[in-house]
Amino acid sequence: MSVSDKTLMPKDISRPKAVLSPIDSLAPLPAPYHDVGAEPGFRAMKPACAEEHCASLDGFVALDGLRRPQSKKEEDEFVRAFVSGVSKIFADSNNNFLQPLHLTMDYCAKCNTCSESCHIFASSNGNEVYRPIFRSDILRRICKKHLTASGRLLGGFVGADIDVNWESIARLGELAYRCNLCRRCAQTCPLGLDNGMIAREIRKVFSQEMGIAPTPIHSKGSMIQLKTGSSTGLSKGALLDTLEFIEEDTEEKTGRKIKFPIDKKGADVLLVHNAGEFLSWPDNPAAFAILFDEAGVDWTLSSDMLGYDGVNYGVWYDDAQARKIALGQFAAARKLGVRRIVVGECGHAHKASAVSADRMAFAEDKVPVESCIPVLADLMQSGRLKFDPSKNDFPVTLHDPCNIVRQMGIVEPQRTILRAICPQFREMATPGVDNYCCGGGSGFALMNSYNFSDFRNKVSARMKFTQIINAFADEFENPDIIKCVCAPCSNCKGTIRGVFEFFEATAQYNVHYSGLVELMVNALASMSRPYLTFEPEL
Amino acid sequence: MVVATLVSVCVIAAMACFLLITAVKARRLKNLPLHSRLELYPVPKEGGGRAKYGGSYFEEVEWWAKPRSIDKVSETREILMEMLFIRKLFQNQRSLWWASWGFHLGIYVMFAWTALLVVHAFWAPAALSWLATAVGVLGFVTATLGALLLLLRRAFDKTLRKYTTPQEYFNIVFILSVLLSGIYCWSAIASPFAVANGVLHFSGQDLPWQVVIHVALLCAMLVYIPLSKMSHYIGKFFSFHKVLWENDPNLPGSHVDQRMHAATSRRPQTSWSAVHVNPPKTTEE
Repeated sequence: MSVSDKTLMPKDISRPKAVLSPIDSLAPLPAPYHDVGAEPGFRAMKPACAEEHCASLDGFVALDGLRRPQSKKEEDEFVRAFVSGVSKIFADSNNNFLQPLHLTMDYCAKCNTCSESCHIFASSNGNEVYRPIFRSDILRRICKKHLTASGRLLGGFVGADIDVNWESIARLGELAYRCNLCRRCAQTCPLGLDNGMIAREIRKVFSQEMGIAPTPIHSKGSMIQLKTGSSTGLSKGALLDTLEFIEEDTEEKTGRKIKFPIDKKGADVLLVHNAGEFLSWPDNPAAFAILFDEAGVDWTLSSDMLGYDGVNYGVWYDDAQARKIALGQFAAARKLGVRRIVVGECGHAHKASAVSADRMAFAEDKVPVESCIPVLADLMQSGRLKFDPSKNDFPVTLHDPCNIVRQMGIVEPQRTILRAICPQFREMATPGVDNYCCGGGSGFALMNSYNFSDFRNKVSARMKFTQIINAFADEFENPDIIKCVCAPCSNCKGTIRGVFEFFEATAQYNVHYSGLVELMVNALASMSRPYLTFEPEL
Repeated sequence: MVVATLVSVCVIAAMACFLLITAVKARRLKNLPLHSRLELYPVPKEGGGRAKYGGSYFEEVEWWAKPRSIDKVSETREILMEMLFIRKLFQNQRSLWWASWGFHLGIYVMFAWTALLVVHAFWAPAALSWLATAVGVLGFVTATLGALLLLLRRAFDKTLRKYTTPQEYFNIVFILSVLLSGIYCWSAIASPFAVANGVLHFSGQDLPWQVVIHVALLCAMLVYIPLSKMSHYIGKFFSFHKVLWENDPNLPGSHVDQRMHAATSRRPQTSWSAVHVNPPKTTEE
């Protein structure tokens, strides 16, 4: 149990205090990281920055666009806008979430079953503010007080006991970004209620009503994507240059000549990557090209606006942004006349286009969307791809991205592939739909403002790092053995990369990460050179 | 005579209110607009053995071109396990499960007891009397013990105490008052068979004041439960069947497609204020 917050209650969110609930305790990691005191500490916020934003929740800042008001008038307007936004999540402006929202707001029994399922709560040794119902109950109590007759008449008797002011609202906004939206808590709820969804509703109030969201996912994320075509800022011209570079680089490194098909009208498959792959992990789109070409898939990439970046950060914080991006992606696919969209290795892009966007457009305006994972498994099982598993004869474990597994039910195809191509494949503890988030979900992987990356590396990713260490057991500490975590998701890879760097796991213990297709190409019988070189990250 | 007739009317009216308010709340939840998909796996209706490990139709290549495999038996089994045994609580918080399951089991048994009393008022073989008595004792004991344990847990568990509002304590105390007054009345004051018989036949027989108080509390509880969050028996159906397990794709001609088209006639009247959000032009489902 965390020390500083034993008595903290939801109504304390408005308590005047420099930092309401600092992280003063962390769950121990397995050996060789079992000495918690030996790991790098949290960087403190500079006092001026802490004063400018809201660092008074736990000492971290995610909402870097949120600034302390300079006058009473500004604070009053801030409070008014928040209460207005909260009322709108219960109005027809939020039709697409009304039913689940009402259910969770009205029926929570406060049984606290969800708490133990939350990796952030567990990793912080039970810091009260990270308890899933802490966040939801604050919103519930604010709604009671400001939106219901029972709250106005009966006050504290029905839980309408939270004062709204800049500090309490800002802390709640920050708290919405201490949840990865992995929804593992909802899986355990005896009433089927969803505290992760509540965190996202709070994010929506801040973004859709107040225009406040973390810079990396809004102004430098979805806004850039709507303006340039990609959240990376990669324009069409830059994309074409990048693809040309990847083609040359792949041939140089592997001897394999590839050519990315661009804007091929009427292709069977439009392959949509997270555009971050082109820039950060170019081996991933190159591996797709090798596999699809070898299997004879009729495929193409799009260079059209929104057609070459499958990300959709709106699904983390803003329905309007999510819808604009999703509809733009469908439009790009329709323009090419492809038969289906296949989403590359990006978890949230999977969920955004196949699940979240499913009811954003009429059926006739959409193009069928499917995951790359069953497509790849089918290519393998049908014999169109031949493998030599001895090329992957090193320990491999699998991370299950929440969006692909828990939230889409794609569980077995990736295991079918790995069992066939990796002789030393082993599962993590609690695999499949019960798996833990990488710690970078819902935008955390991209959010590095001030000291937020410390929160990600030391707290939200802690459970995943624990699982990784345990999956390799005695082999972990042996630097002579290459170990690989297969993470078929860009954001998960980014988070795991950050954790490995933070704890120097690659440098000291030869632990690596990879996408699924890189492992497949590495084991491809027709490849004359290794595809994976397992060089230390620079 | 007047009091007894009033009790008869109140009991029947309270039961009717319970059913009516329950139906109205269920209808209101049902009629909320089609929502975005928020399924979580495992989804027990997924056929082909997928429900067991949490798989879905997304595991199939070109899933939209293939007939869906729906396993109604698995779905029914799963919801029955939740309704009858609160399985998620059993799996994830065993220490609370004993009290919660005891309480809910007791409530279910009390419903059965009530049904037996109604039958007994019109057809009363000795075996039915024995059965009803046994069921009644079981229901009162399990429900009361469960409620007491839940109250104690909420009062003394430092985490639950922080989140429990006075109204939520009131809810348990209210139910306990009905249960305890019932135990007192039916064990020491009057026969439940005689009272049920009198109430249902409007016989106008005099009722002891203790019984009148118990029945008044019972009637108030029957009206209060569906109005309060204790009506989670309604919400639970929707949260599982219509949210977590609802993964029907929006394919041409599907019921989702039809509902989306039907919704286009209802334009939202409220819009968001942030600069980057355009006012809604069409219904987004």
